[in-house]
Amino acid sequence: MNTIHDCKLLIIDDEPTLLKMVIDLLKQNGFYKIFSASNCKEARTQFYATKPDAILLDVSLPDGDGFSLMREFRSHSIVPVLFLSARDEDEDRLLGLGLGADDYITKPFLPRELILRIHAVLNRTYFPLILNQEEKPVFTLGALTIDFNNATITSEKGCDTLTAKEFALLWKLYENKEKIVSGDSLCQAAWGDTLYGYENTLMVHIRRLREKIEPEPSNPRFLLTIRGIGYKLTGGETLERSN
Amino acid sequence: MKGLIKILSRYVISATAVAIFLLVINFILLVAITVKSGSTTLKKESVQELTKNLIKVDDEYRLPDDFTTTLIQNDQWAMLLNEEGSVVWSLNLPSDISLQYSLSQVAGFSRWYLNDYPVYVWQHSDGLFVWGHPRHSVWKYSVSIPQQFMNRSPFYTISLFVANVIAALVLALLLGLRLFRSLKLLTKGIYQLTQKQPVTLSTQGLLGDVAKVINQTSEKLINQEEALSKRDSARTTWIAGISHDIRTPLSIAMGYSSQLENDLELTLAKREQAETIRKQCELIKTLVNDLNLASKLEYDMQPFHFEVILLAPFLRNIAVDFLNSKSSDLHSLDVCIDETAQNISANADRVLLSRAVSNLITNSVRHNKDGCHIRLSLKCDSFNCSIEVADNGIGFTKEMLHTLNHEKASVELNTHGLGLTLVRQIIKAHKGYTRFQNQLEGGCMITLCLPLHESSHL
Repeated sequence: MNTIHDCKLLIIDDEPTLLKMVIDLLKQNGFYKIFSASNCKEARTQFYATKPDAILLDVSLPDGDGFSLMREFRSHSIVPVLFLSARDEDEDRLLGLGLGADDYITKPFLPRELILRIHAVLNRTYFPLILNQEEKPVFTLGALTIDFNNATITSEKGCDTLTAKEFALLWKLYENKEKIVSGDSLCQAAWGDTLYGYENTLMVHIRRLREKIEPEPSNPRFLLTIRGIGYKLTGGETLERSN
Repeated sequence: MKGLIKILSRYVISATAVAIFLLVINFILLVAITVKSGSTTLKKESVQELTKNLIKVDDEYRLPDDFTTTLIQNDQWAMLLNEEGSVVWSLNLPSDISLQYSLSQVAGFSRWYLNDYPVYVWQHSDGLFVWGHPRHSVWKYSVSIPQQFMNRSPFYTISLFVANVIAALVLALLLGLRLFRSLKLLTKGIYQLTQKQPVTLSTQGLLGDVAKVINQTSEKLINQEEALSKRDSARTTWIAGISHDIRTPLSIAMGYSSQLENDLELTLAKREQAETIRKQCELIKTLVNDLNLASKLEYDMQPFHFEVILLAPFLRNIAVDFLNSKSSDLHSLDVCIDETAQNISANADRVLLSRAVSNLITNSVRHNKDGCHIRLSLKCDSFNCSIEVADNGIGFTKEMLHTLNHEKASVELNTHGLGLTLVRQIIKAHKGYTRFQNQLEGGCMITLCLPLHESSHL
């Protein structure tokens, strides 16, 4: 197995049209080892014969329910299971996830979302990011290079370092770059609290951060204020890792 | 229970008052009658008067004419006995009256009767004056009371009165308690009625008829309640079933339209059509979810997960989610939190409250396709807070405002879908209320008023 697309997927759903649609979708997205079943009996046969790498399972099946079926499969292997169900009650979702399902997707779903969730589960299970887990990214912001590994900012003028709080704030903003991050999330990252009582402290830290990363701190280009809500980091580019 | 004790005490007080009143009336009547009958002929003064007026003139006794006339008219008689017991003067004396009396005979009739004639005697200077009345006209009885008893008579009178009052009080209390017990059962029954509990009261006793009616009412109420909840549950189950069944076909429609949308072999026009189908499918999805939630909220079948939520970060997060996910720059949003509302919290279901606020933002976006600015505000007073979602768009029509602000129009579909109805239901479930209005400067404002959590009371 070289990529997640080499994974064997077993799709179990009693609705033939939906089954076909999902299979088509998976094929379009590069999966080619796809098996299907439309009831519990067929599912058992396929499961023991094919030994799938992941199972996409409907909760309501004509000769049983997906929850029991998952329990049965799990007693034989730790294969990841994603529920695909029309039942959207909290109890059903909690029951499915409580049983140890890797995800619970309710119908109707966006095809893209389904694919992304399958990717996520397969990546997590078969291709965990064990390589260079400790290494943090390096990214450029205009003429600056920011290295999160040693909390340094390098520019033509020289090298500057980030304080612990500046690092925490910039890291949170970087994780959500091009998106707005609320003041509360930033305070949570830096001080473990909500914005209340930290408004001025946050402003001071953001100003210092701007002084370090903005060419014109009073007219910011990269670290934008979204009034009343939070901040947004924009325009940065992550450098590919050399190894 | 308080009411019953009031009724009982009033009952006892009035019964006692009646008893006292009767006693007083009886006493007054007794005195009046005694005085009146005594005043007719039996006065001591009369015999004394007669005796005084019997005067000896020229060896002959004479009674003035007016006395004589009165005596004869009343069929009365009189005589005077000398010291030897002989009659020395008489008036209208009946024939069966002896003319000579011994000492023992005098002693006998002086207190009782003489030949069945009631008589009164008085001492005359020449002997004993005897005044007789017709037979059976007066009932005479001599009473002897020990002096000690008479001395203590005021005390006895008061004791008698007090004993009577106590007896009346105790009797009233005992009878009242019986009534109280019956009333207590009835009150309990009526209380159970209000709590929609089944009531089966004993139909025996004083208030049996009333108990019977309460039992019947309870039975009817329970039956009605059951029928109603059966109907509500059937409706919600039906909607849940429909929404469940619609999900699979909708998934297929969304799946294929989405695939067509991304199929680069198709023409742009075809791909745009596929996009429209996918977007409409997503609308149906929202509608189905809304319908399901609305029916559950309407019939109290939605489980709530209440927690204390800090409202300012909560609103900022909603704003962030909206701003991060919006696809065009036509719509902008800002958040305005009052200084006093920076740290307030409410007891709320995070998911549902977030859905209410997001629904309002989505509503502004959907109905102002050319763009608008949306403002999320948070304000508070001592016990309540208000989350305002305002825009500078087209606002509501008059009819829509009326429908939205009136509770009666519950689950109904209008051009706004179920979104706003859901908002109202969610806020109602949080013991708050929703106000829809248009702003003078254009656009609309929806206010969600919620009770603050105790920790935030100012």
